[in-house]
Amino acid sequence: MSFRFVFEWLSELSSSIALREAYNVYPWLLTSHVISTSWFAGLVIMMDLRLAGIGNLSTPLVQSQKRLFPWQMTTMVISFSTGGLLFYGDPMRFYPNFWFWLKMLLMLLAAVNAVTFHMTIYKEALEKLEAKLADARRSWVSWDFSGVVPYKARVAGFLSLVLWAAIIISGRMIAYSALVPQWWLDLGLD
Amino acid sequence: MDLLPFFQWMGTIPLSEYVLSHTWAAPIVQVIHLVAVAVFVGALAIVDMRLLGRGLTSRPLADIARDAQPWLIGGFIVLLITGLPSLTSTALKQYYSPFFWWKAEAMLFGIIFTFTVRRRAILTDETQLGPYWPKIVGLMSLGIWTSVAIGARLIGLMG
Repeated sequence: MSFRFVFEWLSELSSSIALREAYNVYPWLLTSHVISTSWFAGLVIMMDLRLAGIGNLSTPLVQSQKRLFPWQMTTMVISFSTGGLLFYGDPMRFYPNFWFWLKMLLMLLAAVNAVTFHMTIYKEALEKLEAKLADARRSWVSWDFSGVVPYKARVAGFLSLVLWAAIIISGRMIAYSALVPQWWLDLGLD
Repeated sequence: MDLLPFFQWMGTIPLSEYVLSHTWAAPIVQVIHLVAVAVFVGALAIVDMRLLGRGLTSRPLADIARDAQPWLIGGFIVLLITGLPSLTSTALKQYYSPFFWWKAEAMLFGIIFTFTVRRRAILTDETQLGPYWPKIVGLMSLGIWTSVAIGARLIGLMG
């Protein structure tokens, strides 16, 4: 399988071997990954709670989207770099791991959900907000302030909460490479 | 005071035996623990960032803190509930790990700090706080809880 070839090729690069064999790099890298991911996911969760209409309701929705964004991006970059290095240091450990692939799939779904929301529901709402601002010089529209968020936006928020919980769960489960469905083991990827 | 007998006893209670004899018990407890970490960190970070003058700056500090509180407390309760079986079922490993004691001490300090100094900073009228005090409190809070997380993660990695 071609995927396996790429993983094997990566694992034989001298920098990958050096990373794998470096003393104490792995624990510190993993610790940095856990902390930056907690920050990133935590800020995403706080934003999603507002979007889903569950929490942080005194912050206007547009504010919770805009003002947390730079911090979500900063912590995401750290989380992705440390995660990428963990992967790069031992690709063949992850290749046969069910939870690793599940996590990658869930992250893809979370990205699709976030981008779709921003390109459609959120964009339309912002345009309406700006039109209203121009009209009435008001600083808010109902769904921005009162907690009444359109149904579709709430679904996007709720979906993101579920996906991020599942990403964290599958990420932690990578350590339990044997606790996986039998059909996965039957694929014989090891 | 030697706590070794206490830790030895913890390892033998029914809760520990249950976790050790059921394959899925430990991972289920750990994944819930980690999701709770994210909720706790999110609720902590939005308020500490606000103290530092970052993030949700368009609303009063007290509003942000009031909204975050149930998630901070709720997250912490879930952390305690899921932390307990993890601790008792690996009690001797924890006892002999310097990182466990690091985590425990930092956590005790964090709880005291959060319910005294930080709470006071959050409840005080923002205009009375001056320019430096909220920043010091926010930085200290983030620093203390980050050190709890570092200690916690290293227990399993460096003994």
